[in-house]
Amino acid sequence: MQEKKGYVSFVLHAHLPFIHHPESDDYLEESWLYEAISETYIPLLTNFQKLVDEGVKFRITMSMTPPLLSMLDNKLLQKKYIKYLKKLIELSEKEIKRTAGDERLNKLSHYYFDRYSNDLHLFKDVYKCNLIEAFKHFQDIGVLEIITCGATHGYFPILYVNEKTVKAQIAVGVQTYERYFGRRPRGIWLPECGYVPEADKYLKEFGIDYIITESHGILYANPTPVYGTAAPIVSPEGVVAFGRDMESSRQVWSSINGYPGDFNYREFYRDIGYEADYDYIKPYIAHNGVRVHTGIKYHRITGKTEFKDYYNVQWAKDSAEKQAGHFLDSRTAQIGNLAQYTQNPPIILCPYDAELYGHWWYEGPYWLYILFKKVYYDDCNFELITPSEYIDKYPNMQVASPCRSSWGANGYSEVWLNPSNDYVHRHLHVAGDRMCELAYLYPNAKGLKKKALNQCARELLLAQSSDWLFIITNGTMVDYAKKRIKDHIGRFTKLYYQIKEDNIDEEFLKDISKKDCVFPDIDYMIYR
Amino acid sequence: MPRKTKEQTEIEKEENKRKSTKKATTANKKTTTKKAETKKAPAKKRTTAKTKTSATKKTATTKTKAGKASTTKKTTTKKSTSSKKTTTKKKPEIVEYYDLPYRYNQTIVKVLAQTPNTLFIYWDISDKDRKSFEEQYGENFFEKTKPVLIVRNDTLNYSFEVEINDFANSWYLHIADSKCDYKIELGRRPIKKTEKINVDYIYVSSSNEIEVPNDKVLFNKNQKMVYFRDIKTGIQTEKEITNISFIRNMGKIYDIYDLGENHNVSILSNPSSGSMYQ
Repeated sequence: MQEKKGYVSFVLHAHLPFIHHPESDDYLEESWLYEAISETYIPLLTNFQKLVDEGVKFRITMSMTPPLLSMLDNKLLQKKYIKYLKKLIELSEKEIKRTAGDERLNKLSHYYFDRYSNDLHLFKDVYKCNLIEAFKHFQDIGVLEIITCGATHGYFPILYVNEKTVKAQIAVGVQTYERYFGRRPRGIWLPECGYVPEADKYLKEFGIDYIITESHGILYANPTPVYGTAAPIVSPEGVVAFGRDMESSRQVWSSINGYPGDFNYREFYRDIGYEADYDYIKPYIAHNGVRVHTGIKYHRITGKTEFKDYYNVQWAKDSAEKQAGHFLDSRTAQIGNLAQYTQNPPIILCPYDAELYGHWWYEGPYWLYILFKKVYYDDCNFELITPSEYIDKYPNMQVASPCRSSWGANGYSEVWLNPSNDYVHRHLHVAGDRMCELAYLYPNAKGLKKKALNQCARELLLAQSSDWLFIITNGTMVDYAKKRIKDHIGRFTKLYYQIKEDNIDEEFLKDISKKDCVFPDIDYMIYR
Repeated sequence: MPRKTKEQTEIEKEENKRKSTKKATTANKKTTTKKAETKKAPAKKRTTAKTKTSATKKTATTKTKAGKASTTKKTTTKKSTSSKKTTTKKKPEIVEYYDLPYRYNQTIVKVLAQTPNTLFIYWDISDKDRKSFEEQYGENFFEKTKPVLIVRNDTLNYSFEVEINDFANSWYLHIADSKCDYKIELGRRPIKKTEKINVDYIYVSSSNEIEVPNDKVLFNKNQKMVYFRDIKTGIQTEKEITNISFIRNMGKIYDIYDLGENHNVSILSNPSSGSMYQ
């Protein structure tokens, strides 16, 4: 057996913006949650359980953002998810009949029927509709470390011109975590890995030990960290920063030979929602008749061709196993090399969007399962670790100020600040200033005024979600993102004037509080 | 503290109007005949969002000035028939439609760093301040002067000026030096001096100060020591960086990152961000 020389730390960032429309069933965007539950969250939970059952020792870290937690905890969305699953099961039943003449396709129809039926069973009977508790279980038994995030994924490098708005993002993020997990979080996933040193004092104030940054957050730090991203650094304010490892990131995400592009993997873009006969598929696509993904996809990537072969579950598993082996060998070599130069055993930090595992890279959760088994059973020179455990083992680290950075395209703020979305920022800044003004003018309010002030804080936070800016840049679902910004700024502004004029419309407040029902424990005084 | 402006008062008026009309919305079940002729699909297809906001909008009076296409409005009335079966027991929905205000009528200059070499600046001058400039420098003050941004690099202690125009309310600016503090000043220069405008430059307002990000590995050659801290005990220790094996090891580590001539790593575009919106 090789001697253990270093560590690998997987951090999966689970996040979706808060999407909750009790007023309608027509919002396609709500299905992001349902797809993520079926394709990512349940598969991750299932694989964690399999590893535990098989006695495999593993460690993984996940950030679960406050809006995601709020949605997973929402009774209406839980009901809607069950409805979504039942529709999918009904569709796969029809598919079993429709594909009866084609053995390979029919096998896949059965596969989807079994998969979605199993999801329904797990969600209702095993998890009792409570996925937060399911994740918490793995934290409680010590294999998963859950960390928090900014309240609504507000992007700090742009919000910080009013530091109190960053403080509130952190405060509500920590508060939401405590509500669901019964303890304080040790780490935080900075929204979009957006780092500004001005946030450090608030991170410390709310008890955060560590953050995750993009690679150049560490490599461009001041002074230059002597161990690169192979060791965490601590900022002068006392916040520990772990930087993303570039080599492992490239292996997974290279557009040329990244793992998810394997020809045996499921093709994301071929979905019967787009391909099946319109009248047949109509009950299972958007209410307004627009074709959308259903989740039933029959093809594999096959190659750089339009002619896609059918998906083969076994072949896909074989590829995942091969790639897990490659990842293991690569990390072994990397750690063997780095360990010669570092004082403490090197840590390779591998942060990813959680939803990539399963939703985008369908076989991702299985790949992770196989990799973790290999790390445990095979002859390799590293162990899995969480950032907290690493800090506890090796608390001595270099003092340096991380570089202002993000994990968006080109590493800074272009994704969230460019000609397509720059008009938004003045509204966010004004609303942030006005919120502080309200907290200053009406300290310790009671009754209706307090409710209105707290709702103002919720509307501001929801408007600040970095997702709306990202979606506008990305060019898909733009109308929805723009509407959300208008709605939250609009609701905020209306309430702002009502509060100042002492003329709060109770019905209006009740209505928006029902729609934007995040953060029940919020206290607007955080803006003071 | 933000002042209440004409425009904001207008927004409020609109809001009050909406408030007063929202009670009338229940009475609107009559629109059934109109609904039958309207097509739902095209308007809905354009944006799920819009159709929803307007779903509750049932009377022309509830429309804001910014308004929405009448087709959308019609569409929505159709929806209300089918879904309003329940209205006998439910209260009317609250009418909501919002647009972002064009401006907040405050004198402001804000600067943000888009990249280590690009600043984004937005600004506005309040009506009150505009008036006081006109009072001081004459009615045609804004025609007789042109706006400029003065970019001050407070780290390297230099500044430069960029001419902008009165049609814009924001600007992207290239800057040469990363990892420096910048502050922007909005001012005006007379196109031609007049009796009333007998100065070279008129100050309008200043921005916040920001530090733009660093964009390279620093490798400070003058640095002799690095500091380590035990975060459990708080004990700080120092190491001499001039130690040969230390430098060699550091060099080996940074070799891995494939630094370019300017000590830049090739930043990996992260394909994972926002994966659910695909």
